[in-house]
Amino acid sequence: MNIAKHDAETDMEMNMTPMIDVVFLLIIFFMIITDLSQQELEDLELPMAEKAQEDKPDPKAKRPILNIKQNGQIIVKRDVLFDPADGNTDRSRVATFLQSMAERMEKVDGYPDDPVLIRADEFTPFREIQKIMEMCADQNIKIWKVELAAKVPDA
Amino acid sequence: MANRGRRKKQMRELTESKAEMQMTPMIDVTFLLLIFFMCTIKFKKLEGKLAAYLPKDMGQDTTEVDPVEKLDIRLDVVAEGERRSPDGKVAYRPGVHPRFEYVDRIFSIRIGPREFTSDRIEEVADRLRVFASDDPERPVTIDPRSGIVTEDVVRILDRVLDAGFKKVSFAGSYEG
Repeated sequence: MNIAKHDAETDMEMNMTPMIDVVFLLIIFFMIITDLSQQELEDLELPMAEKAQEDKPDPKAKRPILNIKQNGQIIVKRDVLFDPADGNTDRSRVATFLQSMAERMEKVDGYPDDPVLIRADEFTPFREIQKIMEMCADQNIKIWKVELAAKVPDA
Repeated sequence: MANRGRRKKQMRELTESKAEMQMTPMIDVTFLLLIFFMCTIKFKKLEGKLAAYLPKDMGQDTTEVDPVEKLDIRLDVVAEGERRSPDGKVAYRPGVHPRFEYVDRIFSIRIGPREFTSDRIEEVADRLRVFASDDPERPVTIDPRSGIVTEDVVRILDRVLDAGFKKVSFAGSYEG
């Protein structure tokens, strides 16, 4: 070790490396977080609502998110649970998903207290959503709070 | 002998300065990437939501008479309009465009019991405010009929909640 060399250049050289390691780690962290947080949200054109409340999701709350595309496909966490193509009407996978989410929710008076967020494209026929709401009324599910995702207009 | 000392210093300077030059731009790029990813997360989260409630006894037989008169809002399609590509310029083609946009769509809104029908949202919004000022606790049911899409319902729900109604629910679907 050279104690005699105390110019500024040598000092900087010694401190840089761990800082760069930390920065790279932060980048990888943000990359993973971004990917994970967007897993549940499909790319849709949401309907516009002026008085929509801002959606501040509580990470601890168990809120099922159902994405519904224009063609009626119901997608949860990138997985297509129901596809109405070819006259299919079997929504059992959606019902199973809702049931498992409802079981994990905190109950108040016997009813699950968390809402279900329905993110539907603006031109999805509304009866697709009505069918989901009817499923929620099922005795095994009993979810009674519904949130419809909307776009907030630019301020 | 003096030359040797100078050359040694030159060599040292060369090796030192090489490492220094490579570091700085790399750090700049890294910070830029970091800021980029931080901004990407922010944009995705700007979504809103409208809350509605499903009546807790939906699905069971409702033979009891309602003590409070529900306000029924019925939505019907008057003109379905044309399906266009997302930029609105050409007709929509299923395999080609990822989604379609409706153009020239008209739907009618009927607010019971006085059968006030309109297809202009602002008129409806005013009427809703009048009803809500009488009794904001009055339950409202939105009854979308065949052909109605999410956007129609969300626009009405937006105005219903804005008028001050607290209990909003939806009617069951009519098609099989």
